[in-house]
Amino acid sequence: MDLLGISINHRTADISLREKLFCSPEEIRNLIPELKKNIFSEGVVISTCNRTEIFGIPVSDNISYSDILNFIKDWKKINDITEKNIERYFSCSAVKHIFNVSAGIDSMIPGDSQILGQVKEAFTISSDNNFSELFINRLSDTAIKVGKRTISETKIGEGAVTISYAAVQVIGKIFSNLDKKSALVIGAGQTASLAANHLKDKNIGKIFITNRTLANSIILADKTGAVTIPFEEFKLHLHKFDIIISATSSPGFLLSEKEIKESMIKRRNNPVCIMDIALPRDISPEARDIEYVFYNDIDSLKNIVDENIKRRKTEIIKIDNIIMEEMISFHNWCNNLNIVPAIKLLREFFEDIGNDELNKIKNKVTEDDYIKLEAMTKRLIGRLLHNPTMKLKSISESSLSEQEKLKETAIIKEIFGLNGKIENKALN
Amino acid sequence: MISAINSLNTALPFLYFFLFFSYGYEFISEENKFRKANRIYLIIVLITHFFYIISRTIEFNHPPITAKAEIFTIIAFSVALSYLLLEIFSKVSGTGVFIIFISFLFQVFSSLFIEDLLEVPDIFRNKLLGIHVVSAILGYSGFTISAVYGILYLMLYKDIKISNFGLIFNRLPNLETLERLSFISAVIGFMLLSLAIVIGLFWLPWAFPDFSIWDPKLLVSLLIWIIYGYVIFAKWFNDLPSKKVVLYLIADFCFVIISMILTSFFTKSFHYFG
Repeated sequence: MDLLGISINHRTADISLREKLFCSPEEIRNLIPELKKNIFSEGVVISTCNRTEIFGIPVSDNISYSDILNFIKDWKKINDITEKNIERYFSCSAVKHIFNVSAGIDSMIPGDSQILGQVKEAFTISSDNNFSELFINRLSDTAIKVGKRTISETKIGEGAVTISYAAVQVIGKIFSNLDKKSALVIGAGQTASLAANHLKDKNIGKIFITNRTLANSIILADKTGAVTIPFEEFKLHLHKFDIIISATSSPGFLLSEKEIKESMIKRRNNPVCIMDIALPRDISPEARDIEYVFYNDIDSLKNIVDENIKRRKTEIIKIDNIIMEEMISFHNWCNNLNIVPAIKLLREFFEDIGNDELNKIKNKVTEDDYIKLEAMTKRLIGRLLHNPTMKLKSISESSLSEQEKLKETAIIKEIFGLNGKIENKALN
Repeated sequence: MISAINSLNTALPFLYFFLFFSYGYEFISEENKFRKANRIYLIIVLITHFFYIISRTIEFNHPPITAKAEIFTIIAFSVALSYLLLEIFSKVSGTGVFIIFISFLFQVFSSLFIEDLLEVPDIFRNKLLGIHVVSAILGYSGFTISAVYGILYLMLYKDIKISNFGLIFNRLPNLETLERLSFISAVIGFMLLSLAIVIGLFWLPWAFPDFSIWDPKLLVSLLIWIIYGYVIFAKWFNDLPSKKVVLYLIADFCFVIISMILTSFFTKSFHYFG
């Protein structure tokens, strides 16, 4: 297994370097021909906001990690990248790393839900650009299988790991019929937008958005199917909302304890969930003391996030076992890569001789005799090949190292002149 | 038959204990894969318990409602049965550990003190009495389950209020569901108690010559009926806030317990079963 590769990721490089190294799918498509010409005969380029990784089968034995690094430096025209910024992988460690990535355990937050899709896309790009052959195709299938098994057999993806999603998780612990609830999102920035999207995903009955700049709230409302409320008026409607999420950059409180108390009277003490995910806070934390008000700020929601990350980390042992199972299966497949074509070619070699000899006598014997001779030839080839075939199969299934297996099969290849044909056959 | 009844009497507390343990494990381990297995186990325990009750009825020629220990096994059964129905119809699981514990306690007490009563007054063999007692027991089981869900509601309410996102937060259903389960249990309990009271009011004067409307047990039952009726009425017509509903239901249940103890041990009544 000659798989070789480097990874520049969240452990080895800061965000500014990772940003510079990021390759869009289009860029990867342009990069592949160059990579194919100089570095790898087949391979894959995975590039996300947290990593850029290049793996493949080197075109020659002389290709080293530095060649890959220099290639990426030249391609991206970056000089500030050093050996310290790369992780090096070869053979089994490279396969294991790719499986770790597709399983989401190499991500900044374990169980990242997007990474499997990104890995899939990277392998698809390789395949579409004739940069993947037998080995990379199998690697792709297994990596995707690892990712899928991780999702279905473990809880690595469970629980909120972002503040805005944690807020939605708390909301789900208060209300049962979310489709009958109404929510107000104060703000229209990135955090507010994320929260509004999470609310939409949870099928909240009605979502309202208010923001100092009306235009921004209209844009967000259009994206999320929400209704906008003028910022000057939202306090008048406060009592109508079961859920209030605030994420503005306001320097002071937008809502005081008194205002919330008044709205609670109008609500006849129906519970309200207030999520203040702004920094500095938008809503007076004293609201926490009001009966039927469930107030949470960034600090309290961070407890959920931390707890969920801790839980996810406990799932890594299970994922390691999945990866180990798939590694063994992949390794066995690799070991058979040379042996299976050898068996096939050996059989073809004997069948060709048999057919040649049968053709020579075809016109010299009766049709009935020819049928008998044909059957006899098949039986003869079968019996002659039985022992060598069994021997090759037992070698492929044995615990011998790859080198030892190659040595064992070499003599058969040598005797029948199969060398050279096998590798070509394997790749076709 | 007697030996089979005795064996079941010994086995039932253990069966309920393992059921409680199993639901507890499901709750703590946060593994939902035990849910189905626990439900099947609960059904098996209930079938066994039902067989035990029927066996006793046949063997001793009266339903097991003549003594406290006998009534306790009926309570254990009805609480577990009510929970099973609630779990199936509400599709809420994970709270079994809290309910089954009550069945376990009642069954332990019953198994320890139950006696093989062959001679009982003829009145205990009356079918109307059977319906009256069973509906009353099922009614009180409803109130018990209502109180348990009420307590769980308060626990989760407090945890969310103080942003303590631990086991309770992760494993319990949401507040609205807990309140709904508590309220529905109370409503079902109220309806069954109403039936028990109606049967009692028509049939008791005929069955008991010393019947008195001022009997303490009767008055307490009516009082319980009134206070539960008030909460249900207030919730339906006055839109009582959820926490208040739950607090009232728990307070009502505390009243049920205290009044039952007082009337059973400190007053004399024609309405006596043990």
